[in-house]
Amino acid sequence: MSKRRPRGRMLHGLHSRIVTARVTLWTLIVPPTVWAVHFLFAYLWAAVSCEKAGRFASFPVLFWAGTALALALIVASALVAMVQKETPGDPPPHDAGTDTDRNRFLATATWLLAGLSFAGVVFTALPVLFLLDCR
Amino acid sequence: MSLHDQDDPALRAAQEDRLRKVWEPPSGLFFRWTDTNNNRVGIWYVLTAFCFMLFAGVLALVMRTQLAIPANALVSANLFNQLFTLHGSVMMFLFAVPMFEAVSIILLPQLLAARDLPFPRLSAFGYWSFLIGGVFVSGSIFFDAAPDGGWFMYPPYTTRTDMTGLGADIWMLGLSFIEVSSVAAAVELIVGVLKCRPPGMRLNLMPLYAWYILVVAVMILFAFPPLIAGDILFEMERLLNWPFFDPTRGGDPLLWQHLFWIFGHPEVYIVFLPSIALFAMMIPTFSQRHLLGYPWIVLAAVGTAFLSFGLWVHHMFATGLPKISLALFSAASEAVAIPTGVQIFVFIATLWAGRVVWSTPLLYALGSIAMFVIGGLTGVMVAVAPFDWQAHDTYFIVAHLHYVLIGGTLIPLFGGLYYYWPLITGKKLSDRLGRIAFWVLFAGANLTFFPMHFTGLMGMPRRVFTYPAELGVSGLNLASTIGSFLTAAGVALICLDLALSPRRQKAKRNPWHGGTLEWLAHPDDENWGVRSVPLIESRYPIWDQKDFVKKVDEGRFFLPDAEEGRRETIITTVLDARPLAVQRLGGPSVKPMITAVALGSVFILTTYHMYWAALVGSVATLAAILWWLWTGTAEIPEKDEKPIGHGIVLPLYLSGSASPGWWAMFITMMADATAFSGLVFGYFFFWTTHPVFPPHGAGMEGPGVFWPMVAMTLMLAAWGLTVAARTANRRGGVGAARGLLGLGIVLSLAAIGAGLAGPWTTALAPSLHVYPAMVWTLVIWTTAHSGVAAIMQGYTLARSLAGRMTPKHDADLRNITVYMHFMALTAIVTYATIGLFPGVA
Amino acid sequence: MTSPPRQSALAPFGAEAIATFDTTVVLTIGACLIFGIVALLFFVAVRSPGDRLSHTQGMRLVLVAGAALPTLILAALLVYVLPQMRPLPVPPRALGVSAVGEQFWWRTVYRAPGQPVLETANELRLPVGQTVTIELSSPDVIHSFWVPGLAGKMDMIPGRINRLIVRADKPGLYRGQCAEFCGLGHAVMAFDVIAMSPADYDRWLADERRPAVPAADPAGAATFAEYGCGGCHAIRDTQAAGRIGPDLTHLAARRHIAAGMLPMTVDAIARFTRDAPSLKPGVRMPAYPHMPPADAQAIGRYLAALK
Repeated sequence: MSKRRPRGRMLHGLHSRIVTARVTLWTLIVPPTVWAVHFLFAYLWAAVSCEKAGRFASFPVLFWAGTALALALIVASALVAMVQKETPGDPPPHDAGTDTDRNRFLATATWLLAGLSFAGVVFTALPVLFLLDCR
Repeated sequence: MSLHDQDDPALRAAQEDRLRKVWEPPSGLFFRWTDTNNNRVGIWYVLTAFCFMLFAGVLALVMRTQLAIPANALVSANLFNQLFTLHGSVMMFLFAVPMFEAVSIILLPQLLAARDLPFPRLSAFGYWSFLIGGVFVSGSIFFDAAPDGGWFMYPPYTTRTDMTGLGADIWMLGLSFIEVSSVAAAVELIVGVLKCRPPGMRLNLMPLYAWYILVVAVMILFAFPPLIAGDILFEMERLLNWPFFDPTRGGDPLLWQHLFWIFGHPEVYIVFLPSIALFAMMIPTFSQRHLLGYPWIVLAAVGTAFLSFGLWVHHMFATGLPKISLALFSAASEAVAIPTGVQIFVFIATLWAGRVVWSTPLLYALGSIAMFVIGGLTGVMVAVAPFDWQAHDTYFIVAHLHYVLIGGTLIPLFGGLYYYWPLITGKKLSDRLGRIAFWVLFAGANLTFFPMHFTGLMGMPRRVFTYPAELGVSGLNLASTIGSFLTAAGVALICLDLALSPRRQKAKRNPWHGGTLEWLAHPDDENWGVRSVPLIESRYPIWDQKDFVKKVDEGRFFLPDAEEGRRETIITTVLDARPLAVQRLGGPSVKPMITAVALGSVFILTTYHMYWAALVGSVATLAAILWWLWTGTAEIPEKDEKPIGHGIVLPLYLSGSASPGWWAMFITMMADATAFSGLVFGYFFFWTTHPVFPPHGAGMEGPGVFWPMVAMTLMLAAWGLTVAARTANRRGGVGAARGLLGLGIVLSLAAIGAGLAGPWTTALAPSLHVYPAMVWTLVIWTTAHSGVAAIMQGYTLARSLAGRMTPKHDADLRNITVYMHFMALTAIVTYATIGLFPGVA
Repeated sequence: MTSPPRQSALAPFGAEAIATFDTTVVLTIGACLIFGIVALLFFVAVRSPGDRLSHTQGMRLVLVAGAALPTLILAALLVYVLPQMRPLPVPPRALGVSAVGEQFWWRTVYRAPGQPVLETANELRLPVGQTVTIELSSPDVIHSFWVPGLAGKMDMIPGRINRLIVRADKPGLYRGQCAEFCGLGHAVMAFDVIAMSPADYDRWLADERRPAVPAADPAGAATFAEYGCGGCHAIRDTQAAGRIGPDLTHLAARRHIAAGMLPMTVDAIARFTRDAPSLKPGVRMPAYPHMPPADAQAIGRYLAALK
């Protein structure tokens, strides 16, 4: 982290804020919740546009915008989790009853869930690439 | 860390005497059944679920005998339909789910070194409800009245009272009753995991079983309510002729399929994840090392839980929905294989890294994983929609689902039985008999179900009582029948082993050398659970913490005594398990049993259309619940706090979001809100399927805007008054709080009238079309919540007047406020939907 | 048993079923390979003495083999199968066929431009090489239309019309069956599928459009009328005009009676006429226990002559 340039300082500030951010059971489920919301959105988008309009547009902007947003949110939570799980200190396995290890654990699990959720959102988007109508 | 006082053996003996007396089970021919201790209730629960499994297994044998040869005439089509409906329903609702809950009721307190779960009487209530509902549903087959519409109960076949008889009502109402008890158990288990862990057991030190239970219980919370919503619509159609699933009056049979499978698919994971949880306990023990990849398992459990809610339409691939919708669910169904793969590889890595000690439970674990992997791989196959269009509703699916459920639920449970039997009885089962039973069972299950993959693809549909010889599947069917009897022989051997157990010697303590807390159990177990509640510093404290067992046994940790003669356990914080309070637990009581009987009578009498009697039952249920709550909850302790050892002094009363009661209310209301969203989904589902919705015509114009808005305003005002009452009471304004609550009751009651006035004044006719039926349903749901709010406000007011609620001891008021938040949300959604949406649409 | 499989997804004759069969082979091979590898890994893991795998190596195994590889394999699988979900392209003047599932038989309706609608039952005839859209519906409960050799199944749902697009590629005699549990007679709700050359198909259509063959034995026709059979069944150009049960105009041209259950013989018709419920559970047709067997035989002879 560069300390000379103002941009670096800003990033540094962000970094330290991430490090000290509170992690809980609720932050753990952010990535899969984003997946779930995206999935529900995709399902409703397909169902409503097929039932009400009989087709969906040849370039479904709404769907891709939603997908990009979901992926961005998941990546963001993965980045936060990655910084937190890399808290410097003792070597793995991190399984002690300390604040640091509890945070590392929650961050690691969040990071893994972000990976799964990312794959999940990509999987959900694939059908729209291959099936272009409602039949 | 050690308590020197505990060096004195006389002191220890005195403590033990007090603990023993406090935790003494009730005796007497009747009163022994009023026990609420998790050890006792859990065992009844397990035995009952086991008996239901044997019963459903016998039904399967009859079916397999019928199908042994083509054109067999052993049983009639009518009986066969009852057999497969009951087999599926009993295995799912009366065996798999209750068995997991039962095992957890036994194990969870031991794993968490808690004396008991936070609401022991709720467990007892759940058990009695389960027993009554289960006997009611299963017994129906002896009167030729069993449900015969398949365990999925697809309307319109099942809603047509000219085609299906009482059986459909027995299924709906009997199983709804059991679903209620399952949700009750889920609440108990979630609060148990989050709030009753021993001090120091942070989230990252929790035994993996507890993680899985948490995840599975949360899944129950979101999976069962949509089915309950579906049950409500279903019974409204059968009993009142409201046409939710009747296409001639605007209904749609597919709505049921959506609601059923939103429940039905997560259900598969609900019964499978607990088995993985058992593996996650056994595999480290037999690898003699920590489980490798603890966060990966948590990832897998949480990830599976989420993904499993995005799969439901893969049971509806053949219904002709738009291909794009099918493809979305196909993609999610493939994605769910990823976390499952992770779990399997975590076990491989752990076994590889450790030094494996071969044992009977491990044999069961590995054998079931083999079967489960086959079931999982065919699951990936059927997630491919074009393949599923062939395989769906054929014997291929029968093969797939039995591989998943036998490999993912049944054999793991038997493995768990061999592993945990010493924990429950102090004795080991026979290794030799166990291994023979395993191989018979394993060979039998594979011989039964492997040929079915071919039977299905060669053209045999499911749920057929007969098949012609020309289909060319006679040999395969005969093999399956032989296999089914072999499977039964394997189960019989296990039962024999269990029956021989009383004659065997006690095993030594911790016979498998496990490292987790449940192995603190002593062969000559006492009822108090754990002698003292330990401080946890590791995931495997018995292995890692010095002199751990000795210190626990000598009462050198927390709460080694029961000075006040009360059953107690420690409440801790969610994330880091810091001690918060000592919770007084309910002792043996007849109240849970009475409440279960009263509630059961409501469901059973409704089945037989005895509505007045059912109404009496409802009033009795309400009275029983209020009596139970009044006498058994939020009790103001005789002193504010007590020491639990090591200089720690904890309060004896908690209210608000730190208390288990608050969490229980919050969790229950999550389930309530989920059921409600199922009904709202119904409304908007019909909006998508109708070109014009709401439709036009006499009896369908309504409910207008005025009355819904009045009702919403009244309910929001009732909510605001309750919140104000909470604040006033906390600040010492007891009189003001009472006044606000009193006014709140008036508004809640007024909101019932205003809510019903909408569809009433516009004469919406619910049996005419699905639109008025849907509006009435939402209004009834919401006004019922208003009525419950009035009862809660009245109860709290009475508690305050009786001096059982004070500014400091305000748990009742805090808890009903949680209810009121959800009720306000319900009111906004309902009245905006029925009052404002027609103007927008 | 020696007859070739007529109702098997493993012996496909339609374009859709052939494509699905190929997919099935690929999926099966993949599943077997993965099972083999996982089983081998378990074997190695259980047999290995302790400490052969460090914490880091173990975590890498889980990451690569447990998470990354499955993700890639499943993504590849999706890319392989998703295009297969697209329906066959439908030519503008495709033949229109409706199949209606009823408890517990099949009503089939053929529509061709400029021709009257033709209704028959429990038999579906298709011209080889032509894409056909089959409209599926049901007036009572949910059924599912499944001809394993032709294509995957599709449900027949009251209040909805589903469209299944198929193309038979090999001529022959096949069988289909209801695949969604629909009540007592679910197991005995089958039908014959006959894929024929377009020329034969046109000839058959023309034959079916003919009026019913005049009864050789008027007594049989009279008995049929006397018992009121025409209240439920139709025989075109006679008094019988019922719409509740199957159309019997050219009954004898079919291969089976009672939805694929019994052979097309006088005896079978006679037995079914007298006591349908004991032969076919849940059937809507009542039993006629007081009908003299001779009358049943007469009706059987009459119907078996309706070529």
